Amino acid sequence: MAYSFPEEVLEHVFSFIGSDRDRNAVSLVCKSWYEIERWCRRRVFVGNCYAVSPAAVVRRFPDVRSVELKGKPHFADFNLVPEGWGGYVSPWITTLARAYPWLEEIRLKRMVVTDESLELIARSFKNFKVLVLSSCEGFSTDGLAAVAANCRNLRELDLRESEVEDMSGHWLSHFPDSYTSLVSLNISCLGSEVSFSALERLVSRCPDLRSLRLNRTVPLDRLANLLRRAPQLAELGTGVYSAELRSDDFSNLVGALAGCRELRSLSGFWDVVPAYLPAVYPLCSGLTSLNLSYATIQSSELTKLISQCHSLQRLWVLDYIEDSGLEALAACCKDLRELRVFPSEPFNREGNVSLTEQGLVSVSEGCSKLQSVLYFCRQMSNAALLTIARNRPNMTRFRLCIIEPRCPDYITHEPLDTGFGAIVQHCKDLQRLSLSGLLTDRVFEYIGTYAKKLEMLSVAFAGDSDLGLHHVLSGCDSLRKLEIRDCPFGDKALLANAAKLETMRSLWMSSCSVSFGACKLLGQKMPRLNVEVIDERGHPDSRPESCPVEKLYIYRTVAGPRFDMPDFVWTMDEDSALRPS
Amino acid sequence: MSEGAMAVVKPEMKSYIWLQTADGSIQQVEEEVAMFCPMICREVLQTGMGSSKNYAIVLPQRVNPPILGLILDYCRFHQVPGRSNKERKTFDERFIRMDTKKLCELTSAADSLQLKPLVDLTSRALARIIEGKTPEEIRETFHLPDDLTEEEKLEPLRNITDDPRIRLLNRLYARKRKELKEREKLKSVEVEEERVDERSVDDLLTYINSGDDKGVRANKSKKKNRRRKDPLKDALSNKANGDHEDLEAVPTACSHSEAKDLEVATPHKALKLQDFPLGTFSPKLEFDDSYMDDDLDPAMREELDREVEDFARRLNPDWPERIQEILCLDRPERKLLPVHINGTSSSCACISLDRR
Repeated sequence: MAYSFPEEVLEHVFSFIGSDRDRNAVSLVCKSWYEIERWCRRRVFVGNCYAVSPAAVVRRFPDVRSVELKGKPHFADFNLVPEGWGGYVSPWITTLARAYPWLEEIRLKRMVVTDESLELIARSFKNFKVLVLSSCEGFSTDGLAAVAANCRNLRELDLRESEVEDMSGHWLSHFPDSYTSLVSLNISCLGSEVSFSALERLVSRCPDLRSLRLNRTVPLDRLANLLRRAPQLAELGTGVYSAELRSDDFSNLVGALAGCRELRSLSGFWDVVPAYLPAVYPLCSGLTSLNLSYATIQSSELTKLISQCHSLQRLWVLDYIEDSGLEALAACCKDLRELRVFPSEPFNREGNVSLTEQGLVSVSEGCSKLQSVLYFCRQMSNAALLTIARNRPNMTRFRLCIIEPRCPDYITHEPLDTGFGAIVQHCKDLQRLSLSGLLTDRVFEYIGTYAKKLEMLSVAFAGDSDLGLHHVLSGCDSLRKLEIRDCPFGDKALLANAAKLETMRSLWMSSCSVSFGACKLLGQKMPRLNVEVIDERGHPDSRPESCPVEKLYIYRTVAGPRFDMPDFVWTMDEDSALRPS
Repeated sequence: MSEGAMAVVKPEMKSYIWLQTADGSIQQVEEEVAMFCPMICREVLQTGMGSSKNYAIVLPQRVNPPILGLILDYCRFHQVPGRSNKERKTFDERFIRMDTKKLCELTSAADSLQLKPLVDLTSRALARIIEGKTPEEIRETFHLPDDLTEEEKLEPLRNITDDPRIRLLNRLYARKRKELKEREKLKSVEVEEERVDERSVDDLLTYINSGDDKGVRANKSKKKNRRRKDPLKDALSNKANGDHEDLEAVPTACSHSEAKDLEVATPHKALKLQDFPLGTFSPKLEFDDSYMDDDLDPAMREELDREVEDFARRLNPDWPERIQEILCLDRPERKLLPVHINGTSSSCACISLDRR
């Protein structure tokens, strides 16, 4: 006999269940729970905008307040996805505008957003609060102006890493004088100047402003005035951090920064002049997040700064920090959870800095809470990886990028299979892994055997044969996203594990050995997958079926093939008749 | 709560409220404890009930004696004003520890008594029980039926019946199919379920064949086995695949010629079939060409065509276009093939001449 509840009670219980995973589970329990859940679902996350149609979403969930969508595959960040591939948000916005007049939040990642869509957003949602455009493109400051002018209740406007066309219209001035609800503003990606006076006035009249990330064009000598108007800031992204500061300007800056007692996160620091860094020293002990990935300063300066940040949980820094800086980090920042070290000169074959595997080993030893790593370096050894794995079994995200492809263990000259094998064996909760260096099929065997919680795997220039891919597809139970480039993986593993693909969000393979014939076969056999061939050499029919395709993007979908593809993308479908775009 | 506060506190003269649970049993409860429940409080104030055994307040059905006991324990603790937040929290954490069945009953009961803090407490506890579980595990925990079909679990691909037009269509087709099956039994005319619009055509055939046109019947029986599984579902679900995106976006300038490609055979005006968007489509319709009677001799076919036309005219004056299409598909040189509804009917990319 079922434990029964009245609907309102069940709905009330569901109101305490927030995670998408749990809500999805709840909706699959039984018919009545499905119904109740869909009416009270307020937040929807669609990891692949082509996996479901907007109409299906609004039909199933009648009262949603927050929507998050992702468009292009992750490898678009590395310019592997050609221009025009897709990820257009317009059909979504049109549908959402009609269905959810009370929508409050829209978060988009790697999507093409037009000014028209921004204008539609501005007009359609009376209580609109949050707009996050992460790595998006296709819009201009005109669209932003529309949002500024119309969204009276806007709290958050975050343009992180987006490409915005500057129409030079002082869009920031479009926030009316009566507008005071800004909480978070991130314009760090904007290349052009914003009206500084408009910015100052905006900051002055928004008492709840907690996060302000300026763009490069905001001069350092104006920063102090800005900060004095917002001493409640918790997150600050400076503009350019260099100027010819007079001493009183400098002390002004020091004072203003010190006045921001709530400041926990700092970023920006373009063109930073070391002499002005001490201005932030008083804040260091309270900082939990520090993004110095634009700070081109040397190890000693970085070390001086970081050594004072005893509460630091997240550090993004250039490899100028070197092994010595990382040792200091390991010694001083015991609360560190996340470390990202970016290459200062990625295209320089020779190393320009003294950053080796040792830096990462030190941090893994000293920082017991370290769980997320992104590390660019030029050499690695199996021994180091084994040490890191043993030190940090709590690692959940491990992305190692040895800059030179197929680089072996620099000590033994062997492949790095056992090193990464140790990582997946010890770090049982590993969710995300990026491989690099010289790797054979062996590493994939380890991954398939041990990486049971792995959700996302990025592979480049690795493996010997289809067996590698087969190990991953057949072994990684939790795999959702797999992206592969320049690996000798062909048809067999893919076709043998076709059913697996329906349990994943997506698979990307570029410069591999998957034949056109196999793609067609896969498209035929798997109606719930979109098998998209991307080939800029022209129609695949103009080449033999056994010819490998340039790029392949396979994703599960309940929306059928899409129709907004450019002329170099084809969907393999059941009729194996190529559909023109 | 002035009444509560005014209650005489002398132990021997303490006030009690009388409560009756669904099983008929009646108990008395200290007034300040009982009044902590909004529902009881309201009853007392509005109706004056609860003052004696004969006038016991009847509690909602969901409140049985053991659960009432628990609720009263909760009220007894929390109605004392002086307690700190920490004390209350500690009590709550201990209080909430019970088996899931009891927790469910308690949540339900607290809700019926409108005791919001307890509803929140129990709801949160239930939420924690649910979190992290798979649907199967949740079903086991709460003894819930596994009544979602495979199709529904994959919603919205298959389960598109929440669109009212499609739901209505489905019902009409289901009914019609049932009728045809019954007629089949009565008249021993073999009906083949192969096409979405079979209703009309089969009707026509039945009408035509109600004589002894054995030739046709024989032909049909030969191909009877090549039934399609669920033509309607396939047709409509496939239609729905493409149609999701553009349900509203496609302008109603959809031409009627496109509309008739839909193979939905009903003149039901309310459905406004021509409003179905057609721009985006995946051709998954598989037509069983058993209906294609290649073996029919031309004279027979001609006669059939004529009869069909006549019948159509009589049946419904709005149907000439419908029938035209059916007749077209009936011709031998045009096999029944997936109809690709992408663009105008003339583009017919998939109505190829290949045999299936």
